[in-house]
Amino acid sequence: MDKETQRVWDSLNRDTQERMAKARTIVGTGKVISVDKTVALLEAIIKPGDKVNLEGNNQKQADFLADCLCKVDKNKVYDLHMIQSVLSLPSHLDVFEKGIAKKVDFSFSGPQAGRLAQLISDKKIELGAIHTYLELFGRYFIDLVPKVALIVAFQADKEGNLYTGFNTEDTPVIVEATKFKQGIVVAQVNEIVDKLPRIDIPADWVDFVVKSPSPFYIEPLFTRDPALITDSQVLRAMMAIKGIYAEYGVQRLNHGVGFDTAAIELLLPTYGEELGLKGKICSYFSLNPHPTMIPAIESGWVKSIHSFGGELGMEDYVRARPDVFFVGPDGSMRSNRAYSQMAGHYSLDMFIGGTLQIDKYGNSSTATASRVAGFGGAPNMGCDAKGRRHSTEAWLKCGQEYGMSHELVGNLPRGKRLVVQLQETFREKLAPGFVEELDAWKLAKNANLDIPPVMIYGDDLTHVVTEEGIAYLHKCSSLVERTAAIRAVAGYTEVGMLAKPEDTAALRKKGIVKTPEDLGIDISRANRSLLAAKNIRELVTWSKGLYNPPAKFRNW
Amino acid sequence: MSVWNQLQKNSFLESSARQRANGIVDNGTFTELLGPRDRVSSPHLPVLGEAVAFDDGIVTGVGLIGKRPVFVISQEGRFIGGSVGEVGGGKMVATLKLAIGAYHQIKEKYPTSYQGRLPAVVISFETGGVRLHESNAGLLAHAEVMDQFQDARGKIPVISLIGSKIGCFGGMGFVGAATDLIIMSEQGRLGLTGPEVIEQEMGKDEFDASNKALVYRTTGGKHKYIMQDCNFLVEDSIEAFRTQLAEVLTLSMESIEEMRRVGSQKLVEEQLELVKLAVELDPRDSMDVWKYFGNESPAILPELSLTDFLKQAKRRVRKVEGGSVNG
Amino acid sequence: MALQQLKFEFKVNNPIEFSHEWRHHGVVGSGDLEILMEKKDLGGAVQVQVVTPVVGFDKVWGMVLEKIVKENRLGNISIEINDNNATPIVVSMRLRQALAEAAKDVRKEV
Repeated sequence: MDKETQRVWDSLNRDTQERMAKARTIVGTGKVISVDKTVALLEAIIKPGDKVNLEGNNQKQADFLADCLCKVDKNKVYDLHMIQSVLSLPSHLDVFEKGIAKKVDFSFSGPQAGRLAQLISDKKIELGAIHTYLELFGRYFIDLVPKVALIVAFQADKEGNLYTGFNTEDTPVIVEATKFKQGIVVAQVNEIVDKLPRIDIPADWVDFVVKSPSPFYIEPLFTRDPALITDSQVLRAMMAIKGIYAEYGVQRLNHGVGFDTAAIELLLPTYGEELGLKGKICSYFSLNPHPTMIPAIESGWVKSIHSFGGELGMEDYVRARPDVFFVGPDGSMRSNRAYSQMAGHYSLDMFIGGTLQIDKYGNSSTATASRVAGFGGAPNMGCDAKGRRHSTEAWLKCGQEYGMSHELVGNLPRGKRLVVQLQETFREKLAPGFVEELDAWKLAKNANLDIPPVMIYGDDLTHVVTEEGIAYLHKCSSLVERTAAIRAVAGYTEVGMLAKPEDTAALRKKGIVKTPEDLGIDISRANRSLLAAKNIRELVTWSKGLYNPPAKFRNW
Repeated sequence: MSVWNQLQKNSFLESSARQRANGIVDNGTFTELLGPRDRVSSPHLPVLGEAVAFDDGIVTGVGLIGKRPVFVISQEGRFIGGSVGEVGGGKMVATLKLAIGAYHQIKEKYPTSYQGRLPAVVISFETGGVRLHESNAGLLAHAEVMDQFQDARGKIPVISLIGSKIGCFGGMGFVGAATDLIIMSEQGRLGLTGPEVIEQEMGKDEFDASNKALVYRTTGGKHKYIMQDCNFLVEDSIEAFRTQLAEVLTLSMESIEEMRRVGSQKLVEEQLELVKLAVELDPRDSMDVWKYFGNESPAILPELSLTDFLKQAKRRVRKVEGGSVNG
Repeated sequence: MALQQLKFEFKVNNPIEFSHEWRHHGVVGSGDLEILMEKKDLGGAVQVQVVTPVVGFDKVWGMVLEKIVKENRLGNISIEINDNNATPIVVSMRLRQALAEAAKDVRKEV
């Protein structure tokens, strides 16, 4: 009996209170702290070996807090286990080089991919795992619960309520995981105001607020200048629209970021209109506010868009289109990566995007031998959601065509998500888009990964679109047939060169491979004149002046 | 719809050198001289392993606007940045010589009725200047083109069209400035040192070349129009350029001479005054200059449509007699 | 490295006569090319000359060109290409566009 009464049930909270007491001796009693005390505060609230979540989103970055973390005394704070969705700033890796942090669990590392691979192979970083966003968020609530979260918001009020607004992104999920396990939350904000437009994070979930010396770093990641779209991208876009969007009546979808999908977006009001597809495809999106969506939205194609994050310059446009976007009572949008990824996983008919390499089985990867780039969110959408139970027309049709369905579930009807890769057989400098073996294998070896990082597995991939044709891979009834279908559209790459003309002819007969001619597409029309907007300025015009592009995109 | 009719609606910015050359003169009148079939390409590029073009990136030829032969020089920015080398430069010089020769022949043939039949030269610039792979020949070509301008002066108008992707930079920036008259679109850019080079030499704090809005505020059509560095600002279509060109061709040689921005003692003095003003004003941004010339809210100017801009923008007032002639 | 000059010759059965004296298409931009096609009595054959900075893609050029020649049953035509790192798809797309444009112009002339 004695033993049981001695058991402590709130050790996490007691630990936090100890740290908070220590913090109070440095920053006093208020929530709002000053810039010059921030490093000392971090030394007080972070202990060696802590799991620390440094908010690095796809777009907005807690850059000031990241810099402060790099400046802590490594005799006091060391061996940290960093848990963050994106490694994007140099400081995100500096913290390892300085010996402050030791281990990382993350999701995406775009700009730092090369340096990360080097640090892993030099054993300066212990890699936990590379996740998809949703997977990492899931682990926040299981075995990767942060003790301290260093987050970022646009504004705070004096009580510590936060406004994360248009670029809310990952903040809610990080704060909820941290605070409800008695952790400590520190927020950097651009400004402290009397009254917030709305409260995105309530004050009692936030322990400290600091106004950073300069506004947080944010990158316009989803802006594609239509001036850079090529004729061959226009061709693939025409093929995708006619051979997939129209064929399946794809209504709910996500577009990966890239010029291929930007071309599709800009072809909806022209080529799509000509094919009479308005209302029949592309009504609902899980998508960042891509500026190249403006012409389709303005022409009445789109009913709804829920966004993972925001996009610089789209704030006013989105605010003025509340029927389409998810806009709060204050009038500004709230993005939310966790919800949008969930929507993307369960509620889409189709994911379509581009990749670096596809192998002969249909596995695709953006990894190269010397870059650990991670996954981000694409695999959550670029897969068949096994838990899906509702049915839509496109999902059902794809399932009915599934060549291996009978082998797996017998005669039971089941749908299938369309997972489409748009792939140029050769990219710039003649780098092949199809390979016998993915570079991911080499990376796995170089960086000591357990498994080669694969973005989309072959069994999830249903369609590949190249300039040579569309391969309807899900219709294949064996791996041999899938490989033949991939070879048939892989052009003059090492994979395509092994295509047997008689196999290709048979696949065309079966409707597993369709060339542009089979699809009734006039290749001579495939040029930029089909784009609804040919440059950023025309997007501004389409938006009736509401889109306010960042300076680096303004050709005027 | 004929090819020419389609071309009229084309974005000037998006059009190739050949499309611009065909579309800028009357329907079906363009004859290309030293075209692709003549296969006169650079003798220097192959040894360096660089790709060649049958026209060396410059389209030359002659067409008509009304009764006037219009000699066209059109640069292709997609071929090595529109750079001018030996062949392309030679084609430019030869075209100017042909035009001047035609002037004398027409005057002789129609001693009393040559007005309205005299040739003109139009140069559609899209270039960063000298082709570094053949820089001596390229530089020489720049000088020879300028030389021909002197011969043409007062006889036939030499008109610049600037509205293509690369803009008109480097040595060709001087060449463009030395023509009688400049027609630009908002997307056109005119200058000497390109933005990237300025950033490289002076640092990102001085000039951030990735800030395109800044680049256009400093070298773009609207700025050049306010500064009187270009004479006319038109919409981004071949038709708009052609219409403005046709209108300009109705002017007398005297009126055209008055449109020059450089090339006389008085104009040099006027330019020097501008240099003095720049020192006094010490502007941090083009907008400071726009404000100085009477634009109360300079920040809105880049956002305005062409029509609204032309209505609202206040231009620098030219001091030299006749220099006030403007669009 | 000097520019590469590649030469190919193809022959198909019952070729269709090219309907123009000559045609030019395209611009030698980065990743792009220009094509000059001329009607020529070659005993039914197709001669192609490619000038390109790219090394090691001779076989691919041959395959791309052969496919286009067969598809369109070309004959008695000389094709000259100036290339600047165009990918195989850009090559075949430009060739197809050039042929399609030529065919359209004939229809208009008729």
